[in-house]
Amino acid sequence: MRIGILSFAHLHAETYQAHLGDMAGVELVGFSHEDASEGRHFAERFGLRWFPRHQDLLAEGLEGVLVCAENARHRELVEMAAEAKCHILCEKPIATNSVDAKAMQAACERNGVHFMTAFPMRFDRSVREVSTAIREGRLGRIYGVNGINHSEIPTAHRRWFADKALAGGGAAMDHIVHLADLLRWLFAAEVLEVYAELDNLFYPHTVEVDTAGLLLLSLSNGIQASIDCSWSRPTWYPRWGHFKMEIVGEAGTVVMDSFAHYLTLYSRGAPRNPSWVGFGSDPNRAMLEEFVASIRERRPPSVTWNDGFQAMRVVLAAYESSLTKSVAIP
Amino acid sequence: MRVGIVGSGVMAEVHARGWRTTEAELLGCTSTNLEQATRLARQFEIGVYKTYSDLLQDVDIVDICVPTHLHKDMVLQAASAKRHVVCEKPIALRLLDGLEMIEACDKAGVRLFVAMVVRFFPQYRLSRELVAKGQIGQLGVIRLKRVSFVPQKQGDNWYLDETRSGGMVVDLMIHDFDYARWLGGDVERVYARLNQATEGPGQYAQAILRFKGGPMALIEGGWAYPPGVFRTAIDISGTEGLIEWSSDEHAPVRSFLLRRPGEAVSVGLPVAGLSDDPYALELQHAYRCIRSGEPFEVTAHDALEALRIALAARESIATGKPVSL
Repeated sequence: MRIGILSFAHLHAETYQAHLGDMAGVELVGFSHEDASEGRHFAERFGLRWFPRHQDLLAEGLEGVLVCAENARHRELVEMAAEAKCHILCEKPIATNSVDAKAMQAACERNGVHFMTAFPMRFDRSVREVSTAIREGRLGRIYGVNGINHSEIPTAHRRWFADKALAGGGAAMDHIVHLADLLRWLFAAEVLEVYAELDNLFYPHTVEVDTAGLLLLSLSNGIQASIDCSWSRPTWYPRWGHFKMEIVGEAGTVVMDSFAHYLTLYSRGAPRNPSWVGFGSDPNRAMLEEFVASIRERRPPSVTWNDGFQAMRVVLAAYESSLTKSVAIP
Repeated sequence: MRVGIVGSGVMAEVHARGWRTTEAELLGCTSTNLEQATRLARQFEIGVYKTYSDLLQDVDIVDICVPTHLHKDMVLQAASAKRHVVCEKPIALRLLDGLEMIEACDKAGVRLFVAMVVRFFPQYRLSRELVAKGQIGQLGVIRLKRVSFVPQKQGDNWYLDETRSGGMVVDLMIHDFDYARWLGGDVERVYARLNQATEGPGQYAQAILRFKGGPMALIEGGWAYPPGVFRTAIDISGTEGLIEWSSDEHAPVRSFLLRRPGEAVSVGLPVAGLSDDPYALELQHAYRCIRSGEPFEVTAHDALEALRIALAARESIATGKPVSL
């Protein structure tokens, strides 16, 4: 199966290419990237074929593409890929506004291609175990969820994450969707109400987007859930940040810390000292396998456009809530 | 100075032990539960007073460790008897009651110390010191956790009666509302959600505070865990750094023991570690200040403001809307 990566703007493209490179039956044809110096750099670093123009990569007769552009550029690349009859795995958030998101869906439907949203945490083993605990009723009726996806500011890796025009926002746009999606998925419920405090509390002099954010959501099944999406970990923290959920129920509580499998390394001269070196499995692998399997089996992927869309609507509601200082409805 | 304790429950016992670390003379206690009071008196070799009025006659300081709805009348009575007061938190159930208590003590020229004990826990104190020293720069996001189990009490469990305890949000979460305000200053806005158990008093709540100065906080509280489990945590992030602490993490001594038959858990108290008992520290502080006339580090006004936040959280839970203070 011939697969391509449209744009290397998103950091995750680096992880994806490594997995696709050693996946049986998958040929990673190459990647497209418009910035020439960056394109050459990635081509050399990862030993990949570089296409300066997206059209040229799409002309290679691909069955699937990974869209790893900046958030605001997803629509353009998704529409091109759909026209080229490629199935699409799109980075999160799928877009920065509803108009773009809906146009992407329309392009996929028009061309009969499937759209999968890149929500790797659905495939994470810790999340799967929590999902089983909830499904089997081991926690009883659930009171609420305390969700944490706080991290360092990602600008050292990619500057555009803090560029409103390209990212559509800051920490809220970056992080909320992962936990919002898991809440929808774990409880088979929708987010009815969003209250959010968003502000640029951490880098008021260097960036112009929100860097601190706390949300309290009400789900359609009555559960409350908080999300901390802040870029609140210092850049000298032992790792990029955390992904955690505590699910508190009448019959018990489960504390999930998805990246808790790590060693603490003290290495002279290391940029982070100490650093947490993970030894858990990478959920991106299982997500990519599902994308490839869905193409092979000619079926829709398990994570859909609607999943990406609903999670994005929670983000947009959070921005609205923060602006109006009131509860917003996604 | 001579001290008398009102009440004979868990907090009365904890306070009695605390007073024993001061130079104060612990004279006796009084309680409507005579059997419990007798047991407490025997344990600490103190007297049992038949009535509150009798106790007030003999002491310089009265330490009120009774259910919250009784605080106001007892404090007012102590003030009119010109006795200094140490009062368990929350100060009262209503703001006006708290205000009346403060004014009565002021007018009578006696001191009123509200036992906001979290400020005397060493990890909370040190975190506040580091923040005040500028070690983490300007405050950004504060995360505080205090989730316990449903208070277990033989007989009349007043904790579970919102008209007497204020409920979990007032009785338990007030600690972190106060601590957050100690760190972040005055609160501008509160939004909170609470979920109740289908049966029984179990409940879990989360509140988002926004401070006038900019920072924000997430406060998590609950009577939701299995009996015996009490977790607390601090996560304070700023422009120049971060402070993390969790009761989940390692401690100087950890024990894993079989529970003896018949042993039960009662009301959860957070673990301070091997450091000085924070309940003793708060009473030592109160006693020192009452004797010297120095101001308390945590004033009755602070206790009242913490109650204001807790009541705003309850209002937000009831209305489903954020509440501006």
